[in-house]
Amino acid sequence: MTEALVARVRDALRVVIDPELGQNIVDLGFVYDITTDGGEVHITMTATTPGCPATGFLKDGVQAAVAKIPGVVAVDVAMTFEPPWTPSLIEPAIRASLGFAAVN
Amino acid sequence: MIGGSLFRWTMAYFAAALAWLLVALALMLGGVGYPAADIASPDTLVLVHAVTIGWLSLAMCGALFQFVPVLVAKPLFAEPWALPALGLLTSGLVCLLAGFLALGGRLPLALWLLPVGAVLLVTGFTLVVVDLGLTAWLRPTGPASFVLVGLASLCATAAFGSIFAFALAGWGGSAGEAVLASGVPLHAIAGLGGWLTLTAMGVSYRLLSMFMLSPDVNERQSRITLATGALAIAVTVAGGALAIGLASGMSAVLLLAGVLGLVSAALYGRDVAGIFRNRKRRQLELNMRIATLSFASLAGVAVLGVALIAVGELAAQVGAFTFLAVFGWLSGLVLAKLYKIVAFLTWLETYGPVMGRTPTPRVQDLVAEGRATKWFVIYYVAVWAGTLTLLAGEPGAFRLAVAAMTLGVAGIIREIVRIRRLADVAHPLRLPGGAIAPHLLFARN
Repeated sequence: MTEALVARVRDALRVVIDPELGQNIVDLGFVYDITTDGGEVHITMTATTPGCPATGFLKDGVQAAVAKIPGVVAVDVAMTFEPPWTPSLIEPAIRASLGFAAVN
Repeated sequence: MIGGSLFRWTMAYFAAALAWLLVALALMLGGVGYPAADIASPDTLVLVHAVTIGWLSLAMCGALFQFVPVLVAKPLFAEPWALPALGLLTSGLVCLLAGFLALGGRLPLALWLLPVGAVLLVTGFTLVVVDLGLTAWLRPTGPASFVLVGLASLCATAAFGSIFAFALAGWGGSAGEAVLASGVPLHAIAGLGGWLTLTAMGVSYRLLSMFMLSPDVNERQSRITLATGALAIAVTVAGGALAIGLASGMSAVLLLAGVLGLVSAALYGRDVAGIFRNRKRRQLELNMRIATLSFASLAGVAVLGVALIAVGELAAQVGAFTFLAVFGWLSGLVLAKLYKIVAFLTWLETYGPVMGRTPTPRVQDLVAEGRATKWFVIYYVAVWAGTLTLLAGEPGAFRLAVAAMTLGVAGIIREIVRIRRLADVAHPLRLPGGAIAPHLLFARN
């Protein structure tokens, strides 16, 4: 049940994109951790850079996307910049299409 | 932009700024001011202030009201002051320009318009400086420290300008006359070098790092760049004022300030090269590619300045030198960044609130870079050609270059309006459920 809900959360988060990179935050590696406790979902995520003005919208978008999932009663989203995001966290095929160096 | 909020009036500042840029280009096309008239003539003063206050300062203020809160992660000290400030700056500039036209005999003699314009402008800039200064002061590091020095330079520029305005109206007394006789270079250096250039440098550090995903410039490194630039402005203002008070020559002061300015520009070039070198995004968007032309123009300004001093022609060619600094370095950078900032803010305003609820386009879906590239290229080729025609003393060819600049700017403005109208976003994603189309001139925050 828990694993199934985590998978549904991960799927739901694919509607949230980084507006600059144009890819969903799951494939970009922004989602560091998803845990569930009954119907409560806890998400730890990051963004490309701490000063990014889109950060607040990303957090709100994650909240909204997960809240729609049947069975979810509460969503807690924590934004962290430790460890900092790097392009190595992007899915390899997408990383190449975005023009990132393989190691950076 | 804290907690996802957007500054309401950035687009209004940008629109007013672009309107003044078109006015300035129309004046140059019409042969008003340098090179058709003397560089110190009232007509040239009209042109110079339409560009520096109307275009560059308003664009800079609009960007700073949006980004200073981001730099310090705190809300603006007093957001409601921003719109009155725009009104004061606009009405003050109109009065000032009318005063210059009166000075040149193009309007009935009403020189009182000059001090009235100065008072309105100083009041407007005071609102801007207090609002942005108290916000930036909450975390005076990195780019915010550049903004603080830029704002201090703006105060010095406005102080000199006000003294000139009162002196030209005959209300300045002997001290005002003395400052007017020798202080114009101090006013220009504090404005172009301190307020506009140091602020542009500071903001560019953050924007370049943010949009290219590059680590921020080392704080100690950027502090040295800022300290050198700030010292150049301090030497100019304090040393220049002292030289006026002592009725001595100003050559030594200007030479020292020039050397410090050159060092600061070189250090900035090193910092920017580092940002580009360390960027995680290898592909450069159009605004970044165009920004490199602006940096090249800044390097060109430095080389031209040194060359003109070496051959003893700086005084004779100061118009060409200033033209390249204003249109190649500052205006080119501001146009490139406007193109990006408008797209980014329009995305946040339109699609940020519905993210997670429905699929949304990318920021890059709001722009048509292929189409916009040609306008920027036309603009830059025209600016460089215009600089060469000024150096060669060919005013007819200069007007042709200005015509091409105007074409380029008109094309860029059209692209910016299209971004704001979401005109290039493919239909299914253009306005998904819940999204509201943005207004052209303000954010619905």
